[in-house]
Amino acid sequence: MNAIQTNQLSRSFGNLKAVDRLTLEVQRGTVFGFLGPNGSGKTTTIRLLLGLLDADDGQAQILGFDVREQADEVRARSGALLEHHGLYERLSAADNLDYYGRIWRMSKVERESRIRELLEPVGLYERRNEPIGRWSRGMKQKLAVARTLMHRPELVFLDEPTAGLDPVASAALREDLEMLASREGVTIFLTTHNLAEAEKLCNQVAVINHGQLLALGSPADLRSRTSAPRLYITGQGFSSQVIDGLRRNALVSNVQQRNGQVVTDLNDMARSHEIVAQLVGAGVQIDEVRKEKADLEDVFLRLVEEENRGEE
Amino acid sequence: MIADIFTVAWKELREMLMFGDSRGRNKLSLLVILAIFGVVIPLQNGRDWVTSPISAMVWAWMPYMWVYSVVADSFAGERERHTLEALLATRLSDRAILFGKLLAALAYGFTLTWAILLVSLVTINVAVRGEGLLLFSPLMTVGALVFSILVSGLAASIGVLVSLRASSVRQAQQWMSFGMLVLFLPFMFIQFIPEAWLESFGSALVNADPLQIAIWAAVVLLVIQSALLAVAMRLFQRSKLILD
Repeated sequence: MNAIQTNQLSRSFGNLKAVDRLTLEVQRGTVFGFLGPNGSGKTTTIRLLLGLLDADDGQAQILGFDVREQADEVRARSGALLEHHGLYERLSAADNLDYYGRIWRMSKVERESRIRELLEPVGLYERRNEPIGRWSRGMKQKLAVARTLMHRPELVFLDEPTAGLDPVASAALREDLEMLASREGVTIFLTTHNLAEAEKLCNQVAVINHGQLLALGSPADLRSRTSAPRLYITGQGFSSQVIDGLRRNALVSNVQQRNGQVVTDLNDMARSHEIVAQLVGAGVQIDEVRKEKADLEDVFLRLVEEENRGEE
Repeated sequence: MIADIFTVAWKELREMLMFGDSRGRNKLSLLVILAIFGVVIPLQNGRDWVTSPISAMVWAWMPYMWVYSVVADSFAGERERHTLEALLATRLSDRAILFGKLLAALAYGFTLTWAILLVSLVTINVAVRGEGLLLFSPLMTVGALVFSILVSGLAASIGVLVSLRASSVRQAQQWMSFGMLVLFLPFMFIQFIPEAWLESFGSALVNADPLQIAIWAAVVLLVIQSALLAVAMRLFQRSKLILD
């Protein structure tokens, strides 16, 4: 059984289609990345999946429960860190976690040990009795993640979980999330703008724009399906004639100049030596040639650009 | 559900009382209220504070002021501080959240009113020492008990309803102030009522059974409160709150 299964899920606000016939499957125990630019429908999707908003059309089954009919069951088994951390700034860190522990009917002993278990690794346990109003954004974010995991949910929704965290804390959180998914079988549905993070962490990713699903698959799949092989060439003598010559080559699908490099998308990586030969023949002094597939960020940008062009 | 209601009320009261803000301003304002209503005003009124039915009317409306000062924050404050959505994403039912917030406001109004009454009783007894122990009559005690609950409940229901619809705490407080003004507006028009009418109304009041008046007032308050609660329950829908 999938943790999340949606079928043609749709929601509009007036004329704006925030989520447009979204069909998704998220397997249990995986980390699922939901990528999209601002306003693409990511947050609305999470709200629909948690039953915080009613769908206009379509169905969603979460952990085997129908969101329309059994939203309480869904929420009882999920944890959510949404757009805002949602912490009570007048309360202490311990009180914030204690409150959510009480909500999930954890015993006092259980709450206390869980608070220690969650706050110690992120270095907040000693400060648990401080009101959090004056804490830094990163500290609050760590606490908010801890609150989301307080009751050991089966499914966790995380909206930009590493926003505001320093690189060390981000890496630690990524490790924790990976461990949660692999060892405890928790399903993690996360939205992020950090595509490198999605690439490292997610088993599956979906790209959404204007409420529509643009692509779905593993990061490697998406790269190979969506992007061309790429040559990064560093050197001297990239005149406009040389660049035009590259553009006319049938092997080349796209040429860009970035930070003193020429980035060439190829139709056939096996024939990359022909490009190097063409450049040498044109008098370019080549310092370095690097072959790579486009990263997830390129895939993402390309998908969104293509979709935006289609819209126009 | 009862446990969930208490959980929500626990958090609300903790926010109201334990910390307030980091400089403890809430605690200070509570002490000021206790000093004014528990010491200064009873001293000005003397024995009448304990014996006069007019004082009883003042106590009866006291909880409205206390509840009004905190209840505006219940939903509007959570929305303003972006904590509402996280709360709505939990397993708590709509009713547990709604009644938890109501209970907290009611408990705050009731407790503060009784704390003031007890402090005022001590104040009066110290002020008139030597005249024997002064206590509220049993009828006034029961009346204060019943009305402090009912008026706290009424204020909490109005406040939650207002707070549900208001976009900010400030707006909720403005609407609550306006409501208070409406409640006291009739008293401003007393001077325009012919004296003969006032006299006959006064003598009717004097001759009427105070217990009966109290019971009728309690029934009216209960009916209004039930109607307000019904509206609040209807308005409290997760999907609506998220979009507001």
